Amino acid sequence: MSIINSTFKNLQKNKSKALVTYTVAGDPDLESSEEIIEEIINSGADIIEIGVPFSDPMSEGPVIQLAHERSLKNKTSLPEILSLSKRLKKKFNNTPIVLMGYFNTFINSLNSADNFHDINDEICEELKNSGVDGLIIVDLPFEESEAIFKKLSEYQIDLIRLISPTTSELRINDIINNSSGFLYYVSLKGITGADISSCEELEKRVQSIKKITNIPIVVGFGIKDQQTAENMSNFSDGVVIGSAIVNMIEHIQTKKTENDFAKISKFVGEIKSSLQ
Amino acid sequence: MKDKENYNFPDDAGRYGEFGGKYVSETLMSALEELENTYENLKGNEEFKNEITEDLNNFVGRPSPLYFAKRWTEKLAGAQIYLKREDLNHTGAHKINNTVGQVLLAKHMGKKRIIAETGAGQHGVATAAVAARHGLECIIFMGEEDIERQSPNVYRMKLLGAEVYPVTSGTKTLKDAMNEAMRDWVTNVDDTHYIIGSVAGPHPYPKIVRDFNSVVGVELKEQSRALFGRFPDKIIACVGGGSNAMGIFYPFLKDNSVDLIGVEAGGSGIETGKHAAPLSDGSIGVLHGMKTYLMQDKSGQILSTQSVSAGLDYPGVGPEHSYLKDSGRVEYNSATDEEALDSFHDLTKTEGIMPALETAHALAYAKKIAPKLDEEEIIVVNLSGRGDKDMANVAKVEGLTL
Repeated sequence: MSIINSTFKNLQKNKSKALVTYTVAGDPDLESSEEIIEEIINSGADIIEIGVPFSDPMSEGPVIQLAHERSLKNKTSLPEILSLSKRLKKKFNNTPIVLMGYFNTFINSLNSADNFHDINDEICEELKNSGVDGLIIVDLPFEESEAIFKKLSEYQIDLIRLISPTTSELRINDIINNSSGFLYYVSLKGITGADISSCEELEKRVQSIKKITNIPIVVGFGIKDQQTAENMSNFSDGVVIGSAIVNMIEHIQTKKTENDFAKISKFVGEIKSSLQ
Repeated sequence: MKDKENYNFPDDAGRYGEFGGKYVSETLMSALEELENTYENLKGNEEFKNEITEDLNNFVGRPSPLYFAKRWTEKLAGAQIYLKREDLNHTGAHKINNTVGQVLLAKHMGKKRIIAETGAGQHGVATAAVAARHGLECIIFMGEEDIERQSPNVYRMKLLGAEVYPVTSGTKTLKDAMNEAMRDWVTNVDDTHYIIGSVAGPHPYPKIVRDFNSVVGVELKEQSRALFGRFPDKIIACVGGGSNAMGIFYPFLKDNSVDLIGVEAGGSGIETGKHAAPLSDGSIGVLHGMKTYLMQDKSGQILSTQSVSAGLDYPGVGPEHSYLKDSGRVEYNSATDEEALDSFHDLTKTEGIMPALETAHALAYAKKIAPKLDEEEIIVVNLSGRGDKDMANVAKVEGLTL
C-alpha cells in the first residue's frame, strides 16, 4: 500500500480528515521553505504538496504566482527540490510528499538526454529515490498521460488528477480510471486563491463522485479559513490549503523571525483542529 | 517529406506528429471540447461558410491584391518580388481573417464575452473590431511593455469599445498576456470565448486559426495561376506564433515545387541568444497548452525573448511549424532587428508601402536571397501587416522624437 493510501486509512480510523498543504519550494529561499514545511508537518499537516516553480504558472492566482517568481529569483531547480524532499522524507518518513507543478519543468529538467521525452524510468527512479510519493501536474490531462500514469505506477508513485466543476460525467470516469492516491477536486472555476461561491453545489458534486469511486477526494482552491475548511471536510476526505499559507510566507522576506514561523504553525494547527 | 500526399494534420488527438496536443488544466478541457465540436459541425455548413465569406469580402475587403514590387525588384536585380497585400485588410493585418471566423463560433456557442491576448496590438484591434460589430463585450490582455511599444493600437482598441488589461507579471509581453487570458478564461469559461490570435495554444486552436487564415494561400493560388500561369517558386512569411505563415503556406504544403520559408525574429542575432527564434535555436517543451519548440533554459523555465517587433516577441511557435521544420517541408531562417529595420525603410521608400516590423523580417530575408536568384524566379512575400503602428517605436529605436 502506498504511503498516501495508508495515510487516508489512518485518518479514517481516527475519524479525521486530511490536511494537505501547499507551499512553493525556494520561497522565500530553499532553506526557509524547508524549515516552513517542517513546522507545517509538526503542526499537523497530513500530506505535503511541494510547489515546483515555473516561469508561466497559468493556473495560479496572484499570491502563488508571486511565490513562483520569488523562488525562480533564487534559481530554485528541480534537482534541488528533490534533495529537499529526500531530507524531509528522512525526518518524516510517514508523511506523503507530493510535487505539484507544470509539465515542462518535469520533462525538461530531469532528462539527461538533450532530446525531449516523456516521464521515463530514469526520472521515475530519481523521484522514487527522493521520497516523492505523488505528482500533480496541473497542465497534464489524462488524454496526454496514460503512458505516464502507467510508468509512474510501476514505481508506486501516484499521479493525482484534478476534477473541476466543468468536468463532464464521462470524463470523471476516465479520470478515475487513470488516477491514484487521491482526487483533487477543484472547488471553483478559476485560479488558486479565488473565492468559493456555492458550497452546496460543491457538496452535491463531490458526493456524486464518491458514489462511483473509493479513491479519497480532497477539495482545494479558495479555502482560506477554519470555517470553510470544516464545511468542505464534512463531505470530502480532506482539504488543500495553499494561497493562505503562501500569503503568510510572502511577508517573511529575508530576515525571518521565530514569530513568522509561529504564525504559520498556529494557522495550520487551527485548520487541522477543525478537521477532527 | 514522406507523407506529403496524405498530409492530414492534426490527427484526432490534435497532434502534428509529436507536436500539439491539449496541455491545459482540467477546467478548460470541456471548453476546448465544446469549441472543437462547434467548429467541426459548422465548418462544412453552407450558411456558415457564406456568412464568413460575406464578412471577408465586405467587412475585411478581401481578396487582398497580389502586388508586383517593381522598383524593389529592379533594385535587388534578381528574382521578381510580389507582395500579398494583407496590410490592406480592414484593421491593417491578416489577423482579422481569424477573428471574423472565431467571433461567429463564439456566437454559435452563445458566448457573450470575448477575450484575447495581443502583442503588437494587431490581434487585439482585429478582435475588438469584430466584437464591436457583433455587440459583444471585449477584454484584451496586453503586456505592459507592449502597451508602451504599441500605444496607437491601444487607443484604437479602446475606441472600438474594448477594455485593455495591462499585464504586469513575468516579462510583461505576449507570453504573459496569454497566461493572463488563460486565467481569465478559466474563471469565466461559461460565458466567455477566448479568441487566440495565432496558430498556437491547445488543440483545436492551431487548426482553427490556420483554417481561417488559409484564405490567404487559397487566394494566392488563384492569383498566381491567373498572373503567372504557375505557382511562385518561393513563399516567404514571418513567424512569431506563425499564423500569417501558416495561412499562406497551408494550401501549398502538397505542392512540392513551391519552397516555403518562415522567418523568425533574430533579435540581436541568433549567436547572442537575444532573439525570439525557437525554431532556429530552441528545444522541445510544453507551454500554453501545446508541445512545440520553445526558448527555455536547462531547467525547463521559459526564457525572455528579444525582438524589435512586439508581434514576434514570443518564446514558442505554433506546433504545426515545429512539425514542418522537423519534416523538412518548410525551411526556417531568421532576420535580425537591424535587418528588419533596414527592410522596413527599403520598402517604404522604394514602393511607398510601410510594412509592419513583423513583416519586415520576411522582407529582410527576401532581400537577402532575391539578388542570388534568376530573374525568371518568382518570390511572394506575405505582407502580413501595415507599419503605421510601429512609427513611434521605429523613431525611438533610431533616436528620433516625433
